[in-house]
Amino acid sequence: VAVEDQPDVSAVLSAYNQQGDPTLYEEYYSGLKHFIECSLDCHRAELSQLFYPLFVHMYLELVYNQHESEAKSFFERFHGDQECYYQDDLRVLSSLTKKEHMKGNETMLDFRTSKFVLRISRDSYQLLKRHLQEKQNNQIWNIVQEHLYIDIFDGMPRSKQQIDAMVGSLAGEAKREANKAKVFFGLLKEPEFDVPLDDEDEEGENEEGKPKKKKPKKDSVGSKSKKQDPNAPPQNRIPLPELKDSDKLDRVMNMKEAARRVRLGPECLPSICFYTFLNAYQGLTAVDITDDSSMIVGGFADSTVRVWSVTPKKLRSVKTAADLSLIDKESDDVLERIMDEKTASELKILYGHSGPVYGTSFSPDRNYLLSCSEDGTVRLWSLQTFTCLVGYKGHNYPVWDTQFSPYGYYFVSGGHDRVARLWATDHYQPLRIFAGHLADVTCTRFHPNSNYIATGSADRTIRLWDVLNGNCVRIFTGHKGPIHSLAFSPNGRFLATGATDGRVLLWDIGHGLMVGELKGHTDTIYALRFSRDGEILASGSMDNTVRLWDAVKAFEDLETDDFTTATGHINLPENSQDLLLGTYMTKSTPVVHLHFTRRNLLLAAGAYSSQ
Amino acid sequence: MEPAKMASPKSAPKDAQVMAQILKDMGITEYEPRVINQMLEFAYRYVTTILEDAKIYSSHAKKSSVDADDVRLAIQCRTDQSFTSPPPRDFLLDIARQKNQTPLPLIKPYSGPRLPPDRYCLTAPNYRLKSLQKKVSSSAGRITVPRLSVGAVSSRPSTPTLGTPSAQTVSVSAKVGTPVSLSGQRFTVQIPSSQATVKSATPTTPTVQNVLINPSLIGPKNILITTNMVSSQTTASESNPLKRKHEDDDDYDNL
Repeated sequence: VAVEDQPDVSAVLSAYNQQGDPTLYEEYYSGLKHFIECSLDCHRAELSQLFYPLFVHMYLELVYNQHESEAKSFFERFHGDQECYYQDDLRVLSSLTKKEHMKGNETMLDFRTSKFVLRISRDSYQLLKRHLQEKQNNQIWNIVQEHLYIDIFDGMPRSKQQIDAMVGSLAGEAKREANKAKVFFGLLKEPEFDVPLDDEDEEGENEEGKPKKKKPKKDSVGSKSKKQDPNAPPQNRIPLPELKDSDKLDRVMNMKEAARRVRLGPECLPSICFYTFLNAYQGLTAVDITDDSSMIVGGFADSTVRVWSVTPKKLRSVKTAADLSLIDKESDDVLERIMDEKTASELKILYGHSGPVYGTSFSPDRNYLLSCSEDGTVRLWSLQTFTCLVGYKGHNYPVWDTQFSPYGYYFVSGGHDRVARLWATDHYQPLRIFAGHLADVTCTRFHPNSNYIATGSADRTIRLWDVLNGNCVRIFTGHKGPIHSLAFSPNGRFLATGATDGRVLLWDIGHGLMVGELKGHTDTIYALRFSRDGEILASGSMDNTVRLWDAVKAFEDLETDDFTTATGHINLPENSQDLLLGTYMTKSTPVVHLHFTRRNLLLAAGAYSSQ
Repeated sequence: MEPAKMASPKSAPKDAQVMAQILKDMGITEYEPRVINQMLEFAYRYVTTILEDAKIYSSHAKKSSVDADDVRLAIQCRTDQSFTSPPPRDFLLDIARQKNQTPLPLIKPYSGPRLPPDRYCLTAPNYRLKSLQKKVSSSAGRITVPRLSVGAVSSRPSTPTLGTPSAQTVSVSAKVGTPVSLSGQRFTVQIPSSQATVKSATPTTPTVQNVLINPSLIGPKNILITTNMVSSQTTASESNPLKRKHEDDDDYDNL
């Protein structure tokens, strides 16, 4: 059992205090560098993790205390030694030469005041400590204690490969404590319904707590067990809206479609239908498709939101109040009669935002549409009148992504202010604020049970937040670039993430570990989606391809025991080639969105770019 | 992005070359050619603004020439004004802690479209109609009942309005439907004495699409006019649009 390290010199020293003589910083650093390079092979990889955070902190300290020339020469001498995946950060750092430059850069200020987490084995740590405390001048030991958090574990030191897989974020790695909390990753029980057209006369299991219906037909993906899934949250953990009649009809439709669903697998790949946006002139910034694949929305850089009907059925708005009073409200097709035929069209354009629209999301009941924009607002549109209903102001800075909860009513948004916010449609202020990321929140997704929210950020970490109390329950590090896509597996156990580094990483939520890495894409991955039963993971990227991966194989035989969790000794097999089921090229159209229809047909969307 | 069509180094002015070099140093390799022009424009505008401000500060401090302190002050003031940055981390953690303490609110069942209170929505009409004819006397009361009588009738349906039907009166019962919010508008209707019809104007539906005002045709007997659920509205039928005159008073008030 490993114990976390308590700094001997406590945090009395504020983050703005300077350690030692600025002119000697280069000496300190090169002294440490020499020591690490001369250490034993098994320790060298682990101790090399110190280089980057120490370099950045020492440089920032020199800049903050206005020793510009020392800072410059320090940077010149050592920036080439850092790992290649930190190059973007270093470029930003090179432009910060004065204290005034730092003031506007919230990310760098956050970096300065937070502790970079390193995970080192006990042996390597003892070695380091002994060396630094031995020397007469132990200034660098003070610096280490001030800016780094060393999470010690008992066990073998990790290899460079293992370390490289998990480092890369601005915050270092995740402390073991950060990933210890229990996460209810199971799915909520779906209520059972009669499916009228089916002839089968089975005696369905009665779910606990639910009133028995006439002859409940079992949900094809539901479980028969009477016991509560220990990993599923209680039904009323968070308040969820009740099921209306229209929702129940929708569920019935869903089950009928599910019965006709194609079972995918390595032998049976999905057909891919690509929706290409023409004449968008690089203005397409967001796409979403409804769950039943009837409508597609595009958010554009010219601040418009455009909704198209994918099916032959056109988009209609509700009649005016005058005409509505004339219709017969008791007729069976009242829902058809309230629609105004004169307004039928395939396309509806929604105006209202004053900046590019970066995220769009349909509500599960298809009544509402959300859009978030660079103007700092999230707008709720009605899909029955095609007008804007509410503008939610809270982020005063660009909002990069938004999503409705799978049950409706709640939605999440994340933006440049480094927080994600949970809203409900009937509250003009957010219900929860998820603060903790060091840089912009670029991607926000709900877990299928609506109790957790995953946020991906430009600080290269993914955090999982609990909706109930706003706590961060998981931190996943390992990507080397800002995260742009997230996808939960349909069973709720796994999370797939894609970033600008072209890798898709797979995470086990329960254990809080990385369990897979899918290499293949050569550019940013903007779209990730699991098939309806979780057998295939589809990824779409800026490199104009859609790739299909075998999710079943990726998640079988996982090494997720306590030892792995404690030490971070993950052993990712190099099986990307085996898992890759197909690569489909488009004609210079980056893939922005992926969606599996209820029958497991894969829809993809992107804007044609002419080079 | 379109591939960078950079101006050949020989013909581009020195400033443009410097800007191109800056972009290259910051790692930006692909950009549209007009980016350089925009960056130069910004640089010029920013520097002149700062220097002008610095000149003002320096003359205010009665100095003979502009020095570094003035420039520093000018930069600081402009930064706080134009280039705001997101709130700092401890502030965010603080408000997050406060917000996250309150439990999630319970959801009322069967409450129709769940939207914030009307004044936080964008569903109110943001226009009003100009008057067409000269005003006819309007009633003083807030809630009026249109009456069949010689002369003028004014009706001002508000939210919700209930009038007592009498032998020759009309009651307008309005139910405000969600998600629209009703703004009361006063309409003054002139009834020609020859015609025993009362037209009472009704408020427009607040959705942006519909700007029609539908009068109602009421027979000579008392008729209870009820609205449907969606908006307050009386059953409409056009009888004589020319005779219908409606206007809103200047001091109408929104609900």
